[in-house]
Amino acid sequence: MKIGVFVCHCGSNIGGTVDAARVAEASREFPDVVFTSDTMYACSEPGQDGIIQAIKDNQLDGVVVSSCTPRMHEPTFRRTVERAGLNRFMFEMANIREHVSWIGKDKEANTNKAIELTGIAVEKLRRDQPLFAKQFDINKRVLVIGGGVAGIQAALDCADGDREVVLVERESTIGGKMAKLDKTFPTVDCSSCILGPKMVDVAQHPKIQLYAMAEVEEIGGYVGNYEVKIRRKAPYVNWDLCTGCGLCMEKCPSKKSTDRFNEQVGSTTAINIPFPQAIPKKAVIDPKFCIKLTKGKCGICAKICPTKAIVFDQREEIISESVGAIVAATGYDLFDISKYGEYGGGRLPDVITGLQYERLLSASGPTGGHVKRPSDGKEPKTIVFVQCVGSRDKSVDRPYCSGFCCMYTAKQAILTKDHIPDSSSYVFYMDIRSPGKMYDEFTRRAMEEYGTQYVRGRVSMIYPQGDKLMVRGADTLMGTQVEVEADLVVLAAGAEAAVGAPQLAEKLRISYDKYGFFMESHPKLRPVETNTAGVYLAGSCQGPKDIPASVAQGSAAAAKVLALFAKDKLENDPMISLVDMKRCVGCGKCVRVCPFGAIKEIDVRGEPKAEVIETVCQGCGLCTATCPQGAIQLSHFTDNQILAEVNALCQL
Amino acid sequence: MTILTQLKEQITAQLPKLDMVIGWEQGYDALHATPLFMRAAEDVERLQIGPLSVHNTATYLTGLRNKKVGLVVKGCDSRAVVQLQQEGLIDRENVVVFGFPCDGVADLTKVRRLIGDVGRVEEVETTPTELRLRVDGREEQVAMSDVMADKCRRCQYPNALVHDHFAGKPREPHATSDDYTDVQEFESQSLETRFEHWKSEMSRCIRCYACRNACPMCVCRDHCIAQSRDPHWVTQDDMVREKWMFQVIHAMHLAGRCVECGECQRACPVDIPILALKRKMNKEIKEVFNYDAGVDPQAIPPLLSFQVEEENINERGW
Ligand SMILES: Cc1cc2nc3c(=O)[nH]c(=O)nc-3n(C[C@H](O)[C@H](O)[C@H](O)COP(=O)(O)OP(=O)(O)OC[C@H]3O[C@@H](n4cnc5c(N)ncnc54)[C@H](O)[C@@H]3O)c2cc1C
Ligand code: SF4
Ligand code: SF4
Ligand code: SF4
Ligand code: SF4
Ligand code: SF4
Repeated sequence: MKIGVFVCHCGSNIGGTVDAARVAEASREFPDVVFTSDTMYACSEPGQDGIIQAIKDNQLDGVVVSSCTPRMHEPTFRRTVERAGLNRFMFEMANIREHVSWIGKDKEANTNKAIELTGIAVEKLRRDQPLFAKQFDINKRVLVIGGGVAGIQAALDCADGDREVVLVERESTIGGKMAKLDKTFPTVDCSSCILGPKMVDVAQHPKIQLYAMAEVEEIGGYVGNYEVKIRRKAPYVNWDLCTGCGLCMEKCPSKKSTDRFNEQVGSTTAINIPFPQAIPKKAVIDPKFCIKLTKGKCGICAKICPTKAIVFDQREEIISESVGAIVAATGYDLFDISKYGEYGGGRLPDVITGLQYERLLSASGPTGGHVKRPSDGKEPKTIVFVQCVGSRDKSVDRPYCSGFCCMYTAKQAILTKDHIPDSSSYVFYMDIRSPGKMYDEFTRRAMEEYGTQYVRGRVSMIYPQGDKLMVRGADTLMGTQVEVEADLVVLAAGAEAAVGAPQLAEKLRISYDKYGFFMESHPKLRPVETNTAGVYLAGSCQGPKDIPASVAQGSAAAAKVLALFAKDKLENDPMISLVDMKRCVGCGKCVRVCPFGAIKEIDVRGEPKAEVIETVCQGCGLCTATCPQGAIQLSHFTDNQILAEVNALCQL
Repeated sequence: MTILTQLKEQITAQLPKLDMVIGWEQGYDALHATPLFMRAAEDVERLQIGPLSVHNTATYLTGLRNKKVGLVVKGCDSRAVVQLQQEGLIDRENVVVFGFPCDGVADLTKVRRLIGDVGRVEEVETTPTELRLRVDGREEQVAMSDVMADKCRRCQYPNALVHDHFAGKPREPHATSDDYTDVQEFESQSLETRFEHWKSEMSRCIRCYACRNACPMCVCRDHCIAQSRDPHWVTQDDMVREKWMFQVIHAMHLAGRCVECGECQRACPVDIPILALKRKMNKEIKEVFNYDAGVDPQAIPPLLSFQVEEENINERGW
């Protein structure tokens, strides 16, 4: 075998603390190495051309590039060696940047370590085999999970791209948080006026199949061929018959049901259509409050319904769908404000969340758009907004910024003045985060045109006094204590990962961070992809995002899906496991551990044996670690290759 | 009717339906038993059970996968049957198990340490408390309590855990629990002491692989990593490092699978106490997964299954 080693300076990134020329020189001593050189930027066009030239001039069989992390440039260099006529798996990368130059300053030690890592890569390359991908068919349907604005956008864009879309929404209507908002920053246009048409498009698009009140139960398969089981909860109403007339709601005697859509500002009826623009606009019975379902009596809705749509013995059902790609758009949920005992959230009725306040402002809300405080229905005159409740606070394990609260607080202050001209608003803030087109101008308007009093400091406590709330806090700019006598306090509750997000991530086999937000494949360069092929992210399930960013990511995810679906066949990654039949004793342990169901038992002359389904295997290596016989080996990462690497390290 | 007679009757009755029944008979002298493969009725006469029937008969099972095999088992042997069944390495319907209550076996290394290497033993009389040996015309007596195998002292399953026929009445377990005191004591020593212990023990290993061949759970046969070049985990270098590497791999492969029949250690011609390595692994498995190998045919061995999160390692707190 003839091996070439190319050591990259990465400008001064590597060159600054590693003597690249010496690494190249020392690599000449490694077995089978016939050519070495050091290059300024191996990934640049001249860098890659140099590699191709060297392969041709020296008839190299394989190439080692000692440079940066393989996550970025392994695909780059694989293509390079392929252009020179080699199999793209006759290539290894030694990471002497993240693993060496960036983490140590001692040039001597760094150089030695870089030589060792290069030596390891050479030993692995010596045992590499050319590998070839297999092609398989692709199912060009997409599943979108979550029907918030991000999921809606992704679904519409995919459907407009002429692909069938399955949209799964947990609630009885799509729309997500945006449907609950009154107006939206920075233009203060009516939220349901701009979202409503999109929701209707979803309902009417022939390419979109919407399952509301449904959740993903199970996901099997792999990119191009996912098998999804969807659990559809029972609304106790036959939605094919329900016309959304709402007569049932008018007559339902159980009026103390939880009003989830209105964020529990007030209550609603047991049979309910959450809001006039709901999509689908269908009634749902809450079995916890329905008198018929809890006590066996009543049934008034069934009598009144003109289409006889009520079905008290309806059961939930499991629906199977086959898709080729998945967009996760499950959004966020709100931080539980009762965790700040000193603010009285959950205890004092007039301490509410920002989202509850949106419902009070909204014309379709429980108060018909007249701001009335929950305790006595009086119109508040002094309103205090407290920012960063459950954001940027390590003490409640929420060190991150929720991103949109500064902006929506400014919006709410403006709207308050519009609703109640003789009111005064105070905002307690840490600092104002308003980067974005027209954003800073918008917060300025809240202060300058609408006279909102911004107080820089934290609120230390909120307590009731008479029918008022005393808000005590610090003004850190003035260096004084402040106390405001308020009628209503609005807490800007931070954004959290949606309830059940980590569980869903595991079904999707994607990573999630400590807080439950889904992990993108690369924070800068692959913000929509996940590390699972065929699964993409849209909206605030990936981290708090405002509407423009959520919509943009929804469209971006759709673009990724459409690009994937532009191909007629997909190629598998040939770094998969293979069974050595001689060695396999057919115990089936590998079958049991494989998380992808990629191994089946076959019969070879009367003996049970394992066989890997090549297009299903994801190369995770669990089976190889489990098989006691060593009968199943992961191509490109065989036991022998790993051993050779360890040996090289121990002997250098 | 003695248990042995009853057992012989049961075997004779089943033998026509089976390719063979495996038990024990006297070996080259009265002290050493050897496995007996009964194919005809007259073979059954030679069957013996008792404290000298030390071998684990289940060791042969995987090599006889397509045959109908009868197996006379002690409690610990039956655990190997259970474990093999769990792991899909045998077809239970091809195996007929004959059980009996086991009073424990003698550790012949302990016997040798007591009376020395005496050569050919002419006769052995076994009583519930004693072994009486006749050697060179003279008689040696050893108390069973002095020579009983360690595994028997902590044995919780002396009656075959799975069986199709059972001779005699099930007996009380020899112990009610195993708290791995031996492992704990060993672990209480310093790392250096433990390291030195294994270095010196393993230096005696002659790489005969009797330990592996005797193990009922070692099923790789011709593909054992001890000889394999692909993958090439151990070399043939005559070094403690390589010998020990093999034992460590064996212990890892047996983690949560080893039924602690002790065959590996018994088979070792130079008496290396290698069962300790497997017991250490089993202790960990017990702590983490609350699992005992070879007890419940329906259970799934923890290291042979995949779960995103184990019950006892609840990192997510769901
Ligand atoms: C008080 C307040 C005011 C705001 N005002 C503005 C504003 O004026 N302008 C602006 O740009 N942004 C505003 N925002 C931010 C805005 O709400 C978000 O940017 C936007 O809602 C994000 O959309 P999304 O689709 O990512 O998530 P979401 O709106 O949260 O939608 C997610 C959807 O997925 C569903 N879902 C969740 N889990 C599952 C599951 N497992 N299976 C199926 N479905 C699931 C949910 O039911 C929901 O319908 C405000 C936020 C708050 C809290
Ligand atoms: S675990 Fe190994 S021996 Fe068992 S079936 Fe799978 S490949 Fe074969
Ligand atoms: S490497 Fe093994 S366990 Fe992993 S997906 Fe492939 S066959 Fe399954
Ligand atoms: S361990 Fe139990 S079953 Fe095995 S020989 Fe000892 S007493 Fe008998
Ligand atoms: S490792 Fe030893 S004690 Fe364990 S099953 Fe094998 S032979 Fe028996
Ligand atoms: S039986 Fe003993 S000597 Fe033989 S290989 Fe095993 S440990 Fe070494």
